[in-house]
Amino acid sequence: MADVSETVKPAARPSKPRPQRKFSWRPWLRAIHRDVGYVAVGLTFIYALSGIAVNHITDWSDGDPSFKTYSRSIDVRGDTSILGASAGDDGAIAEALRKRFGIRETPREVYRVSPDELDVLFDKRTLHLDAAKGVVVDEGQEPRFILRFANWLHLNRGKKAWTYAADAYAGALMLLAASGMFMIAGKKGFLGRGAVLVLVGILIPVLYIHFAGP
Amino acid sequence: MFVRSAMLGTTVIALGGGTYVLASTEEEKKARATVRPDNRPRLPPNQYLLTKIRPMGGTEGDPSPGSFRLRVHGEVEQPFSIDFAELLAMPQVEQTCDVHCVTKWTVLDSHWTGVRLADLARRAKPKSSARHVIFEANAGYTANVPVREALAPNVLIAHKYEGVPLARTHGAPVRALVPDLYFWKSAKWLTGIRFVAVDKPGYWETRGYHNHADPWKEERYG
Repeated sequence: MADVSETVKPAARPSKPRPQRKFSWRPWLRAIHRDVGYVAVGLTFIYALSGIAVNHITDWSDGDPSFKTYSRSIDVRGDTSILGASAGDDGAIAEALRKRFGIRETPREVYRVSPDELDVLFDKRTLHLDAAKGVVVDEGQEPRFILRFANWLHLNRGKKAWTYAADAYAGALMLLAASGMFMIAGKKGFLGRGAVLVLVGILIPVLYIHFAGP
Repeated sequence: MFVRSAMLGTTVIALGGGTYVLASTEEEKKARATVRPDNRPRLPPNQYLLTKIRPMGGTEGDPSPGSFRLRVHGEVEQPFSIDFAELLAMPQVEQTCDVHCVTKWTVLDSHWTGVRLADLARRAKPKSSARHVIFEANAGYTANVPVREALAPNVLIAHKYEGVPLARTHGAPVRALVPDLYFWKSAKWLTGIRFVAVDKPGYWETRGYHNHADPWKEERYG
């Protein structure tokens, strides 16, 4: 005997049209905003830190947010290894200076400025000897941690491909700003609180220019 | 309530920028009260005093005196270029003057050694068509100065500051010195002096800064 369950088919339900899901653009906008925002995090910190550093350029003691510069005069009047080196042998004087200042690097240039003056140049440092005064001016610079690179990128000193990266980032910021306005609906969205805050953001530069601008 | 708070905050932030006032020191008051031979106050408006110049960045050039070359060219009858030794062999001028940075600091009585630009120009013989001087420097930096002001006796091609060779960050081995204009006109890491018939705004001038840069007229921005 055949199993009834195999032979009796359930009655077919009357076919109802499946309800069409209405396309909602807001979740897409939020997803785009979120992902572009993730990508923008690194560059935002680089540009923000560098922007603050460059804004306060006059607050840095040497006016340079990228490098620390130093210049010190050292009395070498009693140093016979330097002043006693053969007067005509600039190489010997440079070698004596290198030893005195504990520099391992080989000088990239030794330049006789005048009978009394000799410049010894290293990669990021120069020693200026004035034999008549018995003084060496030691000057050079050291890069500031992180800011050196952040400023280099922000000011686009490298040019080339970074121009494209910086332009793309600027475009991404505009996208974030524009998409941010429409991320949520209702009272806290663009037609409520959002409009007021957008207006505030626009008014800050407008009022500043009005009261203190050119 | 929210709107009122937001508007209040906006106004405070916007006006905050205008309430930043620097208290003058005695030296600044004295410098403002002192009059220069040209009847202008010694300290230009809205400047404060520092005791030594600041480097203020820039793309550093080759500090090597051995490889230094300075081209004097453009609207001149006898273009030439000289090396560092030739520059030192020219008549040297020691000059004490005030310098003024567009970022508002001023250094009084800074001491410079160099060659007058007018002496270099005498050798190059600018044509009557030359109206401006373009200082050319490392990495394409340029600064434009009207020829009448560039040939003033206090404009130097300087290689020493405060009695010692220029520091790398101050433009070693050689920079321009135009004391009566904001200091960005005094190009560091100088490589050329070009006389031109038609003015050509330079690096900062094309980035929103004033084309002339007179500190007493506060010509900071264009």
